[in-house]
Amino acid sequence: MAFAIEARQLTKTYNGQTRALDGVDLFVDQAEVFAFLGPNGSGKTTLMRILTTQFRPTSGEARAFGLDVVRRGAEVRRMIGYVPQETSVWLDITGRENLLVYSKIYGVPKSNRKERIEDAICAMGLEEVAERMVKTYSGGMTRRLEIAAALLVKPRILFLDEPTIGLDPTARKAVWESLTAFKKEYGTTVFFNTHYMDEADHYSDEIAIISRGRIVKSGTPGELKRSLHGEILQLRFSPNHHQNQNHNGFDERALGKIRDLDLVRDAVLCGTQLDVFVEDGERALPLVIEALSSEGISFERISTARPTLDDVFLRYAGPLSSGRGGDGK
Amino acid sequence: MTADDSLREMFAMIELEMRRLRHDRTEIYTRAIQPILWLAVFGSVMSEVRGIPTGGIPYIDYITPGVLLQSTIFVSVFYGLTIVWERETGILKRLLVAPASRSATVIGRSIASGVRAVVQALIIFPVAILLGVRFMPNPAYIIAAFIVLFLVSGGFAAISIFVASLMKTRERFMGLGQALIMPLFFASNALYPIELMPPALQYVALVNPLTYAVDAVRGLLISGDLSNLAVDVAAILVFDVVIFAVASVSFKKIIE
Repeated sequence: MAFAIEARQLTKTYNGQTRALDGVDLFVDQAEVFAFLGPNGSGKTTLMRILTTQFRPTSGEARAFGLDVVRRGAEVRRMIGYVPQETSVWLDITGRENLLVYSKIYGVPKSNRKERIEDAICAMGLEEVAERMVKTYSGGMTRRLEIAAALLVKPRILFLDEPTIGLDPTARKAVWESLTAFKKEYGTTVFFNTHYMDEADHYSDEIAIISRGRIVKSGTPGELKRSLHGEILQLRFSPNHHQNQNHNGFDERALGKIRDLDLVRDAVLCGTQLDVFVEDGERALPLVIEALSSEGISFERISTARPTLDDVFLRYAGPLSSGRGGDGK
Repeated sequence: MTADDSLREMFAMIELEMRRLRHDRTEIYTRAIQPILWLAVFGSVMSEVRGIPTGGIPYIDYITPGVLLQSTIFVSVFYGLTIVWERETGILKRLLVAPASRSATVIGRSIASGVRAVVQALIIFPVAILLGVRFMPNPAYIIAAFIVLFLVSGGFAAISIFVASLMKTRERFMGLGQALIMPLFFASNALYPIELMPPALQYVALVNPLTYAVDAVRGLLISGDLSNLAVDVAAILVFDVVIFAVASVSFKKIIE
C-alpha cells in the first residue's frame, strides 16, 4: 500500500543561499492525521507548498499516493485539498457563492455540484451563514468556509497550513470537531502545520518536528512524550541575581554542569525557567540544587511535571521564540 | 490539466466578477464620474473652440470613443490591485493548487476584467447619448465596438497582472498604475488626431494599443468609416496574445 505522502531527501534552497529544507524524509500513512510542528522559519510552509505542487524542490522527491508531485503535479492537484494560512476566500460575495466559484474552478461536475456544496456547508456547520457576505463572518466562520471549499473535491489528502491560527478556543474546537467528523466519514488523510501543541496532541495520530529544515523527531504523541522519560524539574530562578552572566542570569558553564550530572538526561533554559529532564526526580533534585548553589545561582521555586508535548517540542526544536531565517514564504 | 479545466476556470473567474458586481456596484458608478466630466465639461468646451480638425465630427462625438476606452482601461489597469490583494491573502496560492493551468488563471482574470470594463462602458454610453453624442444607428456596429472594448480591456488587465507580479505591493502598484494611464491616453488619438502631435510622440502613438482601439471604436460608433478596422483589430489581437503570454510567464513570480 502506497503512503499517502512520502518525501525522500527533500531539499529546498531559496536564491541559492537560504536552505529552507535540508534533506527531509517523511512518510505519512493513509487516513492518518499528521501534525507537522516547527518554529517559525523552520521549513513547515515550504514543505507544504512543495507537497501541494506550488514549488519544485531543489533536490529529492516527494509523492502523494505514489504520484510524483513535480512530474505528475496535475494529477496530484486533482486529489488534494489545500487551505493556506492566509484568508483564501473572497470577502465581497456570500459563503455559498465562494463554494460555487471554487467548485467550478476545481471541476466538480455539474450533476453533483449542488450536493457537494450542501455537504461541505453541513460538514463545516455553516448552514446559518451560507447566504451572508463573507466580510460579515467571524474568524472561525471564515476558516471553516475555507476548509469547506477544500472539501468540495472530496480530497484524498487535506493539507492545512496553520488551520486555527488566530482563532479563539471555541472556534478552534469547532473547526477540529468538524474536521474530525469529516475525516471519519471519508477516510481522508489530514496533514497540518501548527504551532499549537495541544492541537497536535489531541487530534493527530502522528507528529513530526522540524527544526532548521530537518526533521528532528517523529512518532505518535504518546511515543514522543515517553521519549523524554521520567520527569521534569522546573526551576524558576530570579533574574539579574548575578553579575557577568548572560541575559537570563545563567551561564553556559552552569547549564553544562547540570547536564553532566548523573540521572540528568537534558536541561533546557527557557526565559527564567530551567527545565531539567531526569529519570528519577526525588534522587536528582538534591544533586541539581547542589550544582546550582555551587555556581551561586539562586531560584525562587521548584516544581515537577510529566513531559507534555511542549516539552517534547522544546527539547527537540528549541524555544519557539528563537526566530530562525526567513518565514518560508 | 486539460483545455477543459482551463476553460472552466476562465468561466468561473468571469462568474466571480459578475457576482461581485451584483453585490456592490458603487465602484462602477464612482468610476463613471470622471469620464462623464471629460465628455460634459472638456468635450463641450472644446467643441466651442473648433481648433482641432476632427473631419467634420462634433468634438464631443470625436472624443467619446477615447473616453469610453479610457474608462474601461482604468478598470483594467487597476484590476492588478485585486491580484495584489489576492497575493497578500491566500487566494492565489489556492488557485495555483487548482487543476487549471497558470495561463488559464491569467487569461481568465483578464477576461473577467474585460467583462467588468464593458459593464463600465455600458454606464457611460447612455450618458453620452443624453449629452447629444450621435452614435451610428447600427446595432451590429455598436456590438462590434463593445467587442473591441472588451478585447483591449482584457489586454490591459493582463498588463496589470504582469505589473502586479513585479510590484507585489499595493503602494508601488498604485504609483505605476497612475503613471501609466494618462500618458497612454494623451499619446493616442483619443483627444486629437495623431498628425497634430510632435513627430516623436507620433511614434509612441503608433505602438500604443489604445490608438488602434480608439480608431476602431470611432469608426464603428461615430464615423462609420471601417477602412482601418481589419488592421486595428489585428493590432489589438497581437497585443492581447503577446501580453497574455508575458503575463502568464511572469505570473509564477507573483507567489514566490
